[in-house]
Amino acid sequence: MQRSILLAASLAALLSVPALADNPRPEGLAPLGPPPIPADNPMSAAKVELGKLLFFDPILSGNYAMPCSACHLPDAGWAVQDKISFGYPGTTHWRNSQTIVNAAYYGKLFWAGSSKSLESQARSAARGAVAGNGEDDMMEARLAFVPLYRDLFAEVFGDDWPKINHAYMAIAAFQRTLVQPDTPFDDYMRGDDAALTDQQKRGLELFAGKAGCIACHNGPLLSDQQYHNLGVPPYDGWDDDPLAQITFRFELYAKGSTEVLYRHTKDDPGAYFRAKDKQHMGKFRTPSLRYTAYTYPYMHNGMLESLKDVVEFYNAGGGENEFAATKSPVIKPLGLSDSEVDDLVAFLESLSGEEILIEEPDLPEMEPLPTLQN
Amino acid sequence: MRLHQLVLATALVAAGSSSVQAEPVPPIDVETALAELGKRMFYDTRLSGDTSLACATCHQPELAFTDGLPLAAAYTGAGHFRNTPTLANVGHRSAWMHDGRLGTNLNDVAREMITETYLMNMDMRVMQERMKQDPVYVAMFKKAGMSEPSNGGARKALMAFMHTIASRGAPYDDGSLSAAAERGQNLFEGKAGCVACHSGPRFTDDKPHNTGVPDNPEIWADPFRHSAFVTYAKFMGVENYMNLREDLGAYVRTHEPETARRFLTPTLRELTFTGPYMHNGVFDTLEEVVDFYNAGGGEDPLKDPRLKPLNLVPSEKADLIAFLTALSGESFDTEAFVWTQDDYDYAPIENWRQVTN
Repeated sequence: MQRSILLAASLAALLSVPALADNPRPEGLAPLGPPPIPADNPMSAAKVELGKLLFFDPILSGNYAMPCSACHLPDAGWAVQDKISFGYPGTTHWRNSQTIVNAAYYGKLFWAGSSKSLESQARSAARGAVAGNGEDDMMEARLAFVPLYRDLFAEVFGDDWPKINHAYMAIAAFQRTLVQPDTPFDDYMRGDDAALTDQQKRGLELFAGKAGCIACHNGPLLSDQQYHNLGVPPYDGWDDDPLAQITFRFELYAKGSTEVLYRHTKDDPGAYFRAKDKQHMGKFRTPSLRYTAYTYPYMHNGMLESLKDVVEFYNAGGGENEFAATKSPVIKPLGLSDSEVDDLVAFLESLSGEEILIEEPDLPEMEPLPTLQN
Repeated sequence: MRLHQLVLATALVAAGSSSVQAEPVPPIDVETALAELGKRMFYDTRLSGDTSLACATCHQPELAFTDGLPLAAAYTGAGHFRNTPTLANVGHRSAWMHDGRLGTNLNDVAREMITETYLMNMDMRVMQERMKQDPVYVAMFKKAGMSEPSNGGARKALMAFMHTIASRGAPYDDGSLSAAAERGQNLFEGKAGCVACHSGPRFTDDKPHNTGVPDNPEIWADPFRHSAFVTYAKFMGVENYMNLREDLGAYVRTHEPETARRFLTPTLRELTFTGPYMHNGVFDTLEEVVDFYNAGGGEDPLKDPRLKPLNLVPSEKADLIAFLTALSGESFDTEAFVWTQDDYDYAPIENWRQVTN
């Protein structure tokens, strides 16, 4: 139901012809179209339904208690409204939980772009030691003990027994329905001059002009999907939270560090871990600005509390962290007045539509396995 | 051969002495500081992924490091399909796990227990960093000659602690067997033939045998146990693992059909603490175990041909049990084997930005 509404909305977006507008729309921005669907994981209603169940089902975690939705809570912006994400029990995470909404449009997932698809992102999250801490063979074995999953995996994927990779594909398909292409901004970009307030229009002009946000926050997603260091200060929990200190060192260790890096780094090296290239130290993927009304706090470590804090951060020319050598040269003091800051914040608010809430599914349970199945 | 042994045993009994000189389990040299570190770790739930289980959750000192259950507990969201074995004299074993699939050393056994998804489900990299966050561990690793907590050091320490778990004070070792127990020992080594597999100071040949132990249907009735079994069978490369409804034992490491349902001979030391018995806990009492062997074991086409009905009369069965009971010594629920301080805590690392990780 949710999906059909969203698909209808995106279809309407595609077909609508921008009416003659009073203001020219800034180049480099665009309304959001339908999400890309990978050829090897086509959508179907049954697959989305299965993915929705699995998204909420703790069966896909080590302790049968940490579903995707544990850290991507629908009523918390499909994220966690705290600086960093909840970790697996006995741990804490080290980065801010990103919203699922519009995740379908990213070419790479996670803050440092370490997953190439939603499918592989789901797998990494289910298995990560400070996330789901599950093991593929065990999770796959459990799925076979749920009669409904046996039926649905057979129907959707033709599986004799549920395959764990198909679970990740179904979850990705469900996530591709959690899109929002009909914000006030989208309506405005499609020609509805009344969709933005005057203040928001002034904010948009600043966004594309004086404030220069558009340099990185561009395209329909308002993200260049590139990696930048803005000088966001390090997560402050590392100063005094033992669990956070444990996870920080674990991540340095697990992601592959030299002895020097492991001993001396005190901040998240971000995209460095992908190619182990020092010029990527402290860089994170430009996030979409969509749905941000619900996804506070902000930045890869949640160190900025409100959208206004974010705008003021940029107005001051970004911040400082230990990766000064890689800080983006684009980030300079902006000289925005207080009212301009407010205008920009007002525009950012136009990038969020209604809160996307769904009725969480009733979850099936494992049952004894009858003999001579299949 | 059998007849010859019997004759010899009878002769020795007639001479008024025990048939075989009591053989105590020899001690293993350990580094005290390392074993002490291992002892603290053994009781620390932070060695499991969600901090819910310690080694001692299933290996409880007051039960000779077993748990009193037919089938072991397991990690949160899983169930086990085997009985918890005792750790008494575990350092002398030459193979571990009921199927014998670990044949190296206790360092590897510790790693397997800690990291296995249905056991402690611990990413040892997280475990290392947890230990580094606990000042008591930092000090204990130093005292044990290691610069800082590490996974390798942790496993060495657990191995050292397990090497300290030695039986002591059993009537068998003290030479204080009752008359019934002495008669039982003669049966054990003679008519009942137990010694064929239960040999040596630990009363085991450490080899797998098929004795026809009946299936424990609880494994297949409980989807949490059964799904853990599927995970295991799949990992071990057992074909048709989804339709399997039997524990194939040593087959998982040989994949040779004749080895199906063979399980390692368990030690008979500390039996009074370690029920229920057999690899799947199907027998609650030693009486049931003795009845099982008296009947020639269970029904299995691959059963060891040496298992035949023993024709023991009730008094002989009682004597045999008296002997088996005399192989149990003092409880391990003592300061030497238990970490008694409630000091498991993390401390923030002060001045975090200035110190090295």
